[in-house]
Amino acid sequence: MIEHGPHKTAITLEVNGLPQFVDVEPRRTLLDTLRIDLGLTGAKLVCNMGNCGACTVLVDGVAVYSCLTLAVECEGKAITTIEGLAQDGVLHPLQQAFVQHDALQCGFCTPGQVLAAHALLARNPQPTEAEVVAGMAGNLCRCGAYRGIIEAVLSAAQQTGPQQ
Amino acid sequence: MQPFIHIDVANSEEVIPLLDARSRPLAGGTDMLPLMKEGIVAPERLINIKRAGDLRYIRADEDGLHIGALTTLDELDRHPDVRRDYTTLAQAAAEAASPQLRNMATLGGNLLQQARCWYYRGDFHCWLKGGELCHARDGRNEYHAIFDQSPCVAVYPSDPPAALMALEANLRIVGPQGARLVPVAEFLQPPSAERRTLHTLAPNELIVEVHVPKGPSGSVYLKAMDRATWAYALASVAVAANIRDGRAHNVRIVLGAVSNRPIRALAAEELVEGQLITPELARRAGETALAAARALEHNHYKLPLTRNLVAQALRDIMAG
Amino acid sequence: MPKVVKTTINVEGRVSEQFAIVEGAELPPWGEHEELGIVGYPAPRIDGAARVSGEARYTYDVQLPGMVYGRLVRAKQASAKITRIDVRKAKAVRGVVDVMTYENVPDIEMSGRQTRLLSDDVRFAGQTIAVVVAVDPYVAADAAALIEVEYAERPLVADPEAALAADAVKVQPDKPNNLLNGKPRIKERGDVAAGFAAADEIAAVTVRTPTALHNAFETHGCVAHWEGDQLTIYESTQHTFGVREFAAKKLELPMSKVRAVSTFMGGGFGAKFPGSAYTLIAATTAKRLRRPVHLMYDREGENLETGNRGQTLQQVKIGARRDGTLTAIEYSGISEGGAAMGWLPMLEGPASMMYRCPNFRSETSGVLTNLGPMAAFRAPGFVEGMVGLEAAMDELAHKLGMDPLELRRKNIPDTDQLEEKPFSSLPLDECYTRGAAAIGWERRSQPGSQSDGRYRRGIGMASQIWWGGGGPPAYAEMLLNSDGTATVMTGTQDLGTGTRTILAQVAAEELGLPLEQVNVTVGDTLQGPFGPASGGSVTTGSMTPAVRSAANDLRNNLCDIVAQMRDIPQNEIEIRGGMIYRRDQELASVREIMRKLGDVMLQGTGSRGPNPDDVSVVTSGAQFAEVEVDTVTGLVRVLKIVAAHDSGRIMNPQTFNSQIYGGIIQGMGLALTEQRIVDTERGAVLNPNLEFYKLPTIADVPQIENILIDIPDTKANSTGAKGAGEPGIIPTAAAIANAVADALGVRVGTLPITPPRVLEALDAQ
Ligand SMILES: Cc1cc2nc3c(=O)[nH]c(=O)nc-3n(C[C@H](O)[C@H](O)[C@H](O)COP(=O)(O)OP(=O)(O)OC[C@H]3O[C@@H](n4cnc5c(N)ncnc54)[C@H](O)[C@@H]3O)c2cc1C
Ligand code: SF4
Ligand code: FES
Ligand code: FES
Repeated sequence: MIEHGPHKTAITLEVNGLPQFVDVEPRRTLLDTLRIDLGLTGAKLVCNMGNCGACTVLVDGVAVYSCLTLAVECEGKAITTIEGLAQDGVLHPLQQAFVQHDALQCGFCTPGQVLAAHALLARNPQPTEAEVVAGMAGNLCRCGAYRGIIEAVLSAAQQTGPQQ
Repeated sequence: MQPFIHIDVANSEEVIPLLDARSRPLAGGTDMLPLMKEGIVAPERLINIKRAGDLRYIRADEDGLHIGALTTLDELDRHPDVRRDYTTLAQAAAEAASPQLRNMATLGGNLLQQARCWYYRGDFHCWLKGGELCHARDGRNEYHAIFDQSPCVAVYPSDPPAALMALEANLRIVGPQGARLVPVAEFLQPPSAERRTLHTLAPNELIVEVHVPKGPSGSVYLKAMDRATWAYALASVAVAANIRDGRAHNVRIVLGAVSNRPIRALAAEELVEGQLITPELARRAGETALAAARALEHNHYKLPLTRNLVAQALRDIMAG
Repeated sequence: MPKVVKTTINVEGRVSEQFAIVEGAELPPWGEHEELGIVGYPAPRIDGAARVSGEARYTYDVQLPGMVYGRLVRAKQASAKITRIDVRKAKAVRGVVDVMTYENVPDIEMSGRQTRLLSDDVRFAGQTIAVVVAVDPYVAADAAALIEVEYAERPLVADPEAALAADAVKVQPDKPNNLLNGKPRIKERGDVAAGFAAADEIAAVTVRTPTALHNAFETHGCVAHWEGDQLTIYESTQHTFGVREFAAKKLELPMSKVRAVSTFMGGGFGAKFPGSAYTLIAATTAKRLRRPVHLMYDREGENLETGNRGQTLQQVKIGARRDGTLTAIEYSGISEGGAAMGWLPMLEGPASMMYRCPNFRSETSGVLTNLGPMAAFRAPGFVEGMVGLEAAMDELAHKLGMDPLELRRKNIPDTDQLEEKPFSSLPLDECYTRGAAAIGWERRSQPGSQSDGRYRRGIGMASQIWWGGGGPPAYAEMLLNSDGTATVMTGTQDLGTGTRTILAQVAAEELGLPLEQVNVTVGDTLQGPFGPASGGSVTTGSMTPAVRSAANDLRNNLCDIVAQMRDIPQNEIEIRGGMIYRRDQELASVREIMRKLGDVMLQGTGSRGPNPDDVSVVTSGAQFAEVEVDTVTGLVRVLKIVAAHDSGRIMNPQTFNSQIYGGIIQGMGLALTEQRIVDTERGAVLNPNLEFYKLPTIADVPQIENILIDIPDTKANSTGAKGAGEPGIIPTAAAIANAVADALGVRVGTLPITPPRVLEALDAQ
């Protein structure tokens, strides 16, 4: 049994492969911890209520809404944010596909979209269009970049090819 | 959101002694956190049960299906046994919320989801929150009940429990006095003056397992939404039946999102029991199921909608 | 030599005369068949990598040393006077640094929506009544909950139709009939009575459109930061220079001391024009506290206070002769403006200018209610007005026994009937023809005939007209660096429309550099000259000529230098693909030449020239929708949209497509899912969130085919380009509503066409 709070307590998070040490109240969401305490502002706060998907990050590879996740729950788990996808300054193939297919306009929903797509392809490397639509259904886009998003995910899937 | 103490537990046994009126289990958090952000609930302690590995399993055996309370909706939707033999449950899970929410949301938490009524979730101290008045009754009620069961006209919002009712599932609930087994149909009750919730779990109890008896030969879940996906049901229907020699036996029809709790449409079940369900009989079953329904000012559409869904579900189940 | 010119500008139907300074000679427009190598070709966004990688810093993401977080506290009443507001408990919370209410906020007079920065006079639920500033957003929220407010409640009216009743509650004390300007706006030409008398058939419809919430994903707000007497405001805005002007004026600061920044912007859709209290509250608080202040709306506040597309009730009557020639149009409409309304959207716009009709009369009113105020929302008035007009056109076609498309084709206007000028270009006929072919218009049935089984299909269409030619003032500068790369600098902003990218394309094209060698800086008043507000689809038509002119200036300077260095005639020098040629002979790369000059920067300046006087510049087009209605659930699915829009020269087909797609998807939201829901008794908005305010999801999105019309409008400006931000949304809802009517055989006159409305219509059938 591990007890935290109600005041700030020290926790260690593994974010994009690096350990991060933060002092947080248990009530602090993972999203606010990433954005405010760690300066990782890629994940966006749009609704704060699980209604949009802009705050999507991966926790142990699973796509979740970080606005409905507490930071304290994530001790010992591997968190991937959008900042963690590019390697040595080279965009991840999914990110490249989003640029190539103009799968964004204002870009505010985009980090969440890319991570949702990442989780989708990890589970289903060769999705059909219907599977892409179903898998991306948890990420709204007010600018209406949806057609580009579908194309980007399908093309990224094709590029990476079937995985073993 | 009020500050609170957060306690991680490693297994279900550790939880019970920690539970009381001021301590709540935290599972996926997809309802708990919104409720806390809105200030509707403010527990002093959150008992994080997500690390209790003994609550997360799906086991199919002779006895039916055993689902640990921490099983996520996503796991339910993807489980091959659930899909094949308990289709209505897999479909209900698949149609709920969004992919990320299904990754997070557990079946235990889903059973306990509070009303999504906009007054309840908004700035109104309405009856279900402990106030005097149901604002929806004379206010905006397009998403509300057509079967009046309590002073509150909120609908029970979760999808999977209607499917569980059609499958006559039971809950295994553990409290300080030990375990009890209760049918989902009894567990979900309209709120009362003393108990302003849509369920009957005591504050010191934990749902540990959902048990679904061996499934019927066919089952289906139909959900109507006002956009293609990621919306609460306008109405839904779960139907389970054994189809033998072209006739439907042991038919169970459950209506969702029409009342404080999912409702068994007993008269309609009786009408079709043992019958060859023609489109005409399906239509009549729809009418029978809704005979006692009464619309509020803004939800007349729910009568034809729910009738249509019942008829469609019966046609679908006959079609196999 | 700068030259002062006077020119006419049309933004969203509001025409103004404007002085503008023009630098240098106006360039001859790129011709219709000009061979261009970069402009007109698809190019991925130059800021795409920043946006997909999380590197892009939006206003919401700005973090500065010592920064504190503001929280806007909302009124819960819809109509009341605050009698007491007690912030002592809030102030006592550890970590709270300031709390502002009407009692202590600086006294700055405002125009438009708010009269004071904060007021005790509450006119809608959700009005900001206090601002808490704390070291952390959670602390600010804790404190906000401890503010005690007592209200003297007043009666309220939260329904525009009820607000029109003779005995209705007054929303603003000086507006006895709750009408903007005290009376309807009337427009008239010809003689409508005579027109209807001459008609063989008359169709009349009544339609309603919902209040739509912008829900840009980044909310409104700003971060204010003082360094000495220098104020920097990071703001999520559609007009960076406007923020500077507003802040300087209201805070009585020299403009030279104010910098406004909006480098990345999370959507605006018309609601993010400068002039709101939060900017000034943040700036004054930051000054007092000597700390940067982050003050952003949350989703609920955004949806309650920062603007909306007001609901409408419209009646449209059209008469025509047997052959389909229109003889009269009568239009009446009301648009809800909420508790404060600055102007009335041009609801009557489509009815007055879409089709040729000599006799026209309209009566439109803005109606005040105790609800959040309206703001411009992507083609304000036209989206709504097109729903009414095109419903009436379909009904008229039905009465005439005529194909609805034929009826429209028959009435294509030959002049701009508002300005009595010819159009610079109006390829509507081409849009109709190509659009109809792509959707398979011939499959369209007689209404109601495709009515078998569970699913019913229908096809419908609607037309589009709008401005979008832009105009001066708009300026740009260019710098050529010693490594041969160039930077375009201008104070416009990129809301996500792709402005940066097309400006880079124009600069590269004109200068003769490869696209990769051109960078663009926008959204910072210290890093470029004035750029216009990004609204009314003017950015492309205003900015691309300015950038072309700057690039041309820079090119001339470069050629001049090469001529001197190589001692050759300047007019024999050409620059292509980053290489410098004397006629066909390669001399050196731009980079090599620049390197020889040491670390200098060559400059160019440019401006947008005046608009033509003798023609009216508009965009036009049509959309076709195919829908499928599920008669079991009442859900309408849009299967396909075909769009064909004239936006002049298409600068970048890829970002152009995105603009049109985005417009279509928002238009589909208005048609099918989006509506603000109000408890009118209580004056409460019940869905100021993304749970019950239903945006289209990815699964709602149809196949979209966008036909590129791509006819440079050489009379409009020197690039021949016009805007695309608004055209795409204008016909969508109208086309979908007509398609649903075709599928069902009855018209659902109230949008959005939700399952409840479809089921009720089917039930009544
Ligand atoms: C935007 C949105 C859309 C949604 N749409 C749908 C939908 O369409 N259909 C649908 O069915 N649901 C929908 N949901 C609801 C979602 O499915 C539920 O919130 C979720 O299932 C709850 O599970 P959880 O694990 O997150 O519960 P939590 O939020 O962790 O807990 C909910 C409640 O249950 C209690 N609890 C949790 N587990 C146990 C246990 N084992 N024993 C005792 N008490 C327990 C908690 O104390 C709390 O009171 C939606 C939610 C959101 C946010
Ligand atoms: S329906 Fe229930 S939850 Fe909604 S206002 Fe009435 S009492 Fe409250
Ligand atoms: S911000 Fe988390 S889902 Fe919208
Ligand atoms: S790109 Fe703007 S919200 Fe998706």
